[in-house]
Amino acid sequence: MAATPLQEDVTLLPETIARTLGLDAYGFAGQILAALIGAFIVGNVMLAMTGVAGPWAKRKITAAFTDRIAVNRVGPFGLLIIVADAVRLLSKELIVPENVDRPAWDLAPLVVAGSALLGFAVIPMGNGIHLADPEVGLAYVFATASLASVGLVMAGYASNNKYSLLGGLRAVAQNVAYEIPLVVTGVSVVIFAGSLRMGEIVAVQRETLVVLAGVPIPSWFAIVNPFAFVLFVVANLAEVGRNPFDTPEAPTEIVAGYQTEYSSVYFVLFYLGEFVHIFLGGAIIATLFLGGPAGPVLPGFVWFVIKIWAVFLFTQWARSAMPRVRIDQLMEIGWKGLLVLSFANLVLTAIIVGVIA
Amino acid sequence: MSHVSHWLAIGALAVIAVLIPMGMMLVSWLLRPSVPERDKRATYESGEVPTGTTRIRFNIQYYMVALLFVVFDVETVLIFPWTVIYRSALDAGASLTQVLAPMLAFIGILVVALVWAWRKGAVEWARSPRAEREAGDMAGRR
Repeated sequence: MAATPLQEDVTLLPETIARTLGLDAYGFAGQILAALIGAFIVGNVMLAMTGVAGPWAKRKITAAFTDRIAVNRVGPFGLLIIVADAVRLLSKELIVPENVDRPAWDLAPLVVAGSALLGFAVIPMGNGIHLADPEVGLAYVFATASLASVGLVMAGYASNNKYSLLGGLRAVAQNVAYEIPLVVTGVSVVIFAGSLRMGEIVAVQRETLVVLAGVPIPSWFAIVNPFAFVLFVVANLAEVGRNPFDTPEAPTEIVAGYQTEYSSVYFVLFYLGEFVHIFLGGAIIATLFLGGPAGPVLPGFVWFVIKIWAVFLFTQWARSAMPRVRIDQLMEIGWKGLLVLSFANLVLTAIIVGVIA
Repeated sequence: MSHVSHWLAIGALAVIAVLIPMGMMLVSWLLRPSVPERDKRATYESGEVPTGTTRIRFNIQYYMVALLFVVFDVETVLIFPWTVIYRSALDAGASLTQVLAPMLAFIGILVVALVWAWRKGAVEWARSPRAEREAGDMAGRR
């Protein structure tokens, strides 16, 4: 592993766009336009993935786990159900329940869906699809990922429904409890990489760790520090609110939690936000632990998609395979288990790096 | 790329991240019907008629967890810069004790705080007296 941080001259997406479209000539306005076009591309790539995941892949995966067939009538493999579902959900009547706290109730879906998309700005997706690479990349991505809790508590409190309120509170309690292990495990990677810049974290992982039978094994942090990887994956599962940590929604306990009173497009936005959030979690895992877009033969972007879909598949697997933990068990796992383990991991990583370096 | 252009791109994504949901809201507003009806708007509590106010008293534990979170979150903010300079400080010739000991002391203080909170029962989910009684009854019957 390199002691000095790797300086790489990676062109970011807005720059590439500015150059190809000749927007450089327009100065600052051109820069803004290039940034907007880049952001539009990244936003829509993620939306497309969510569109495939939400109405189609999720059903197919769950059906495979429970030995059913699921959607197969509309289009090849039932793929056109995505269009049908989008039209169906968007054309539903928007029911505004009594006494909802109006501006907050309307803003909550926007916050949830928007904040999840925001995190992808700093994720290197390969093939130059990388919007921005600020020095505080990792801190930024954790910050945006946790913005969603604000939206969830807004939804819970504004809905004027006891179940929503409980769901919102549970969501926040859970997100804050697992935020600490997540961040502490995340920064244990930074000890190796020596930088919060996503581009650099990915670049460091490109080096060869060992050569096994002629195959070079890259120094992906999942291989270098598997303990941190496992901790991070578990904490991330809780952070995105998937089984066994889906207590905020808990359909058998509190109807649908914070989204009980939402219908039509607002429900779509919550659903979308949730899935974008899962993909954001997958993108963080891929960037921190799985070498980002690195991989043999196939282009980087394809590898990036494969990796985040692998994480998505894992969350769906967990969803089908594991029962929900109780809220008190959830708190104990978070504060007594993961928190202690994540600090142990941080200190151990520091000591090991210190001894080796 | 300059600092400005990084944050410009992030700002652009923020604009897009608001515009996309707004666009969906607009499309839905154009498509959806509106058939107002009183019963439809009633608060949905599993088909029961909602009783009392929504501003119920909820478990105090949510506040305890939030307080603990503030403590630990501030602390992660302080850990961030340390992890960034850790290796370069070692490479620059600082000894292991020099870079590690202060952070160990810092984490040590936090561990003391966590142990205190743990023993106080702050990380345990508070149970209602009724639940305790029922649990006791169950144990007695066994």
